[in-house]
Amino acid sequence: MERPLSPFMFPTWYRFQITSSLSIIHRLTGIALSAGSILLAWWLVAVAEGGRLFAATHAFIASPIGIALLFFWSMAFFYHLCSGIRHLAWDAGYGFEIRQAYLSGYAVLAATLLLTVLTWLYVYLA
Amino acid sequence: MAKTFIVSDTTALRDGNVLRRVRHLGSARDGLREWRLQRLTAVALIPLGLYFAASVLRLATSTRMTAATWLGSPVTALLIILFVLTGLAHMLVGLRSVYLDYVHARARLLLAELVLRAATALLAGASVLAVLKLFLNR
Repeated sequence: MERPLSPFMFPTWYRFQITSSLSIIHRLTGIALSAGSILLAWWLVAVAEGGRLFAATHAFIASPIGIALLFFWSMAFFYHLCSGIRHLAWDAGYGFEIRQAYLSGYAVLAATLLLTVLTWLYVYLA
Repeated sequence: MAKTFIVSDTTALRDGNVLRRVRHLGSARDGLREWRLQRLTAVALIPLGLYFAASVLRLATSTRMTAATWLGSPVTALLIILFVLTGLAHMLVGLRSVYLDYVHARARLLLAELVLRAATALLAGASVLAVLKLFLNR
């Protein structure tokens, strides 16, 4: 018998709330950051090797697409960081009340935006 | 570190995991080790990640000389290697928990396991060698 597997409720039956949405985003940003580790390793090798490899890598990273990728990766990184700290607090037994969970969820979103903006201001001004 | 034995009167049934398996109480595999590894690496990645984000984003578009000099300095080389290795360990546990949720056939599960581990080892090796080269050649 073919039974439906886990995500089958999503598009039609499931009503999203901030708590579940943030949990899903935590996972998605984790996957995005894993993909980012490929570019990081690539960039490190390119810096070490130099020559045409570095020129091509540098041209890609400095292009509008590269900068956009870096921007979204930095946002994903800060989200995953803040959300991860929220998870560590839960692991330690804090913040399980619904009101606290909503509050910490919004705090994670605010901190993500703040850290992303501050980082890019620092990148361009410092 | 996986299992705790009582040294004084160790028998197969004194090992909690064996007993659980015999009685079919839970999986009794090594989930706790992964759980702990994920949390420990998460804690380590808070300072390492902040350092990484603050420095590498600025260098990502810089010239090769600037990046090479910075990556080759001892403290940076050490911290970047630690960041990459800790991050990849964290990634391994995280991605594993993702595909365990969505890949249900045994053969495909094994394939995912092998591909992920090979890819992670490659990324780790390449990153460490690159930073070491910059460090040794400075």
